[in-house]
Amino acid sequence: MSLEQLKSSRFEEIIYDNCDPCLVIFSRKDCHVCKEVVPMLDELKPQYEGKFGFYYVDVEEDKTLFQRFSLKGVPQVLFFSEGEYRGKAAGKVEEETIEEKIAEVLGL
Amino acid sequence: MVSSYDLIIIGGGPAGLSAAIYGGRAKLKTLVINKGTIGGLADTTREIVNYPGYKHVSGPDLMKDFQKHAESFKVEFLKEEVISVDFSQEEKQIKTKKGKEFTAKAVILACGSEPRILNIPGEKTLRGSGVAYCATCDAEFFEGEEVVVVGSGDQAIEEGMYITKFARKVTVIVLHDEGILDCNKVSAERAFNNDKMEFVWNSTIEEVLGEENVSGVKIKNLKTGSSSELTCQGVFFFVGMIPSTRFLNDSGIEMDKSGYIPVNDRMETNLEGIYAVGDNRVKYLRQVVSAAGDGATAAVAAERYIEEFSEFNTTILQNDKKILLLFINVLVNESLEFSTLLETILHENSNEYKLLKVDMATKKNLAKKYEIEKVPAVVVLDKGKVIKKLGCSMDKEKLIAQLYSIPIL
Repeated sequence: MSLEQLKSSRFEEIIYDNCDPCLVIFSRKDCHVCKEVVPMLDELKPQYEGKFGFYYVDVEEDKTLFQRFSLKGVPQVLFFSEGEYRGKAAGKVEEETIEEKIAEVLGL
Repeated sequence: MVSSYDLIIIGGGPAGLSAAIYGGRAKLKTLVINKGTIGGLADTTREIVNYPGYKHVSGPDLMKDFQKHAESFKVEFLKEEVISVDFSQEEKQIKTKKGKEFTAKAVILACGSEPRILNIPGEKTLRGSGVAYCATCDAEFFEGEEVVVVGSGDQAIEEGMYITKFARKVTVIVLHDEGILDCNKVSAERAFNNDKMEFVWNSTIEEVLGEENVSGVKIKNLKTGSSSELTCQGVFFFVGMIPSTRFLNDSGIEMDKSGYIPVNDRMETNLEGIYAVGDNRVKYLRQVVSAAGDGATAAVAAERYIEEFSEFNTTILQNDKKILLLFINVLVNESLEFSTLLETILHENSNEYKLLKVDMATKKNLAKKYEIEKVPAVVVLDKGKVIKKLGCSMDKEKLIAQLYSIPIL
């Protein structure tokens, strides 16, 4: 997997200090839907190099993060820009949905 | 660029992987195209206790063994989604979402199934915000909360019990009368003895309530017609499966109204060289063991089909002489006598024909191709093209006349 895994402190840094536009997938190892969505993001990532960040949070390792966003399931892809939460996509999302959402966040 | 294979298997669950093992072992150039994780639905099963040889194994572990086994026979794997197919030619064509193109001599459809969606208000919009389909993935998010489970099959009851490890209370909404569950007896008994499990009978759900997150469900009693609301923070749907065969809608493959593919005992579909195995076909038992059996059957049928056609192509299409394709059946004496007569005639006359005997019992595909239903039958071919079918008379003169166009005296 080429997505950088974020722990709590690094999460703060990327999302709120750097304020870069990015997405974060909340996932866990034994979730079969996650196993479909994560590789899709993996493949999409190079197209957005330098423009849009792709990150990964393991909910088993970082419970505080998913509790903070009161998430009720994985996988969920959360979008951020300028330090603000900009929406999410839950479940088995398609590549197109992610691309559209990124375009929306980037204001394209 | 188009890549060619002998056998392409769409789907990498137990049926597809078993077909791959048999295909690889038969030295067919075999490719498995699978869109998700290898193992299909079995990969999402926590424990499997009825696959022969494995007393107790997890779904993912068993499926890894299947895959390794297939890889040991040089089967190739591609993680991609097939979006369209063209099965009308002898070389079957397959296109993936990323634009890759493949051809294969035979194709095995092992696409499995996916959870059915009820299409009720709130089900889609609250997905991931309390609406869930996988207990292993999401049960933990409902620690100390109240959860509703819809359905009463094996999956609903077993997953429901798993959720009680986290949730304070699990309410199961069941279509049937009190005490009747669709699941196996052992699970039913365990569920009834589980203090955290409650049941609402004769009912279904008509709406998932909540703005940001699930706040409850609207339950409809099917006997009285009355509706009631139940507060909960999560809803897990286990309302059965539908076959993942929508991408085949325009392929000419026959399907029943639910999308399942009917096959015969060789796993053949209505299209030549196309087979369907596992959960996406019409069948009685949907288990790993029966899926594996399907895969083996289809791969062997596909292997014979491919062999017949390659033999046909080399010996028939590329022959300078005219071919007499003689269909016989060793159990039908008349066809054997006719065969002897025909050989005698060819021996006594000029050498412009090559005789090829086809045993109907094993070469079913050739018989089908030339629409042969009874033996003996003779098809005359020139460079693979049908010139005529002979009237199979035991009268030697008549037969000679048909072969050498000599008018009967």
